Amino acid sequence: MRQAGRYSSILVGGISGRTGPHALPLARIKRIMKRNSTAAGEASPRMISGEAPVVFSKACEMLIQELARRGWEAALRGKRRTLLKEDVAAAVARTDVFDFLLSVVEAEARPPPPPAAQ
Amino acid sequence: MESPDEKQHEDCGGGGGGSGSGIKEQDRLLPIANVGRIMKQILPPNGKISKEAKETMQECVSEFISFVTGEASEKCHKEKRKTVNGDDICWALNALGFDDYVEPMRRYLQKYREMEGDRVASSSSSSSAAARDQTGAAGAAPFAFHPMDRNN
Repeated sequence: MRQAGRYSSILVGGISGRTGPHALPLARIKRIMKRNSTAAGEASPRMISGEAPVVFSKACEMLIQELARRGWEAALRGKRRTLLKEDVAAAVARTDVFDFLLSVVEAEARPPPPPAAQ
Repeated sequence: MESPDEKQHEDCGGGGGGSGSGIKEQDRLLPIANVGRIMKQILPPNGKISKEAKETMQECVSEFISFVTGEASEKCHKEKRKTVNGDDICWALNALGFDDYVEPMRRYLQKYREMEGDRVASSSSSSSAAARDQTGAAGAAPFAFHPMDRNN
C-alpha cells in the first residue's frame, strides 16, 4: 500500500503544526474558483477566503480517489491493468452524483481537433 | 505559491477540450503530475494509468471546482455576503449530493481553523516557543489573515 502523504495527517489526527503543503496547488485552485464565483446578475466575482481552497484541495483529492477507484473497477471488468479514459467515463456514467461530469467525459471521448498548422 | 509541477504541464498537447477560449490549460486545470499521483495511490502497485485518463481526470476536477464554487457563490449572493468561505463550500457539497464528502470536509475545516488560530497566535506575540502554549487564545482569530488573501 502506498503510504499516506503529509497532508493526510490532519484527518488521521496528527496535527503537523502547519497547514501546507497540500496535494494540490492552492493558488491554482483559487484561480479556478475566482473564475466561477460571479453570481448571476453580478458584475464582479466574490472574494474567496483563505480556507476555501484548502477545503477544495481535500475535496478534490477525495473526488480523484473516488473516480480512480470506480474507474479501476471498470478496467478490471475489461480485464485490463491500465486505467483508460473510457474507464473514467464509465465511472462517471454509473454514478448519479457525477452527472455534472457527463459532458466533460463526452467531450473527452470526441477525437481532438487537428493541431493548428501555424 | 506555485508548485514546480506546473512546468510539466506545458506539453500536454491540448488534451480534451482545449478550446480557443484564451484561457491557458495550465490556468484552467490542476497539474497533471499532482492529479496522477493521487490516482496512483488508489491503484495496486502494478496498475497503470494512461495519459488520457489523467487528462480526463484533470478536466473532471476543474469542472467539480467550478460546479461547487458556483453553487456556493449563489448562496453568498442570496445572503448578501461578500466572501465565499469554507462553510459555504461544505454547504454546497451537501446541496449537490456529495454526502460522503461533507463530514470529512467539516472535520478538516475545523482542524485547519484550529491550526490557523494557533499559527496566528504564535506569530502575533513576540516570543516564538512560549507562544505555542497559548492554544485557544486565538479562538476568535480572524483566519482571513492568510497570505493567500492578499489578492482579494
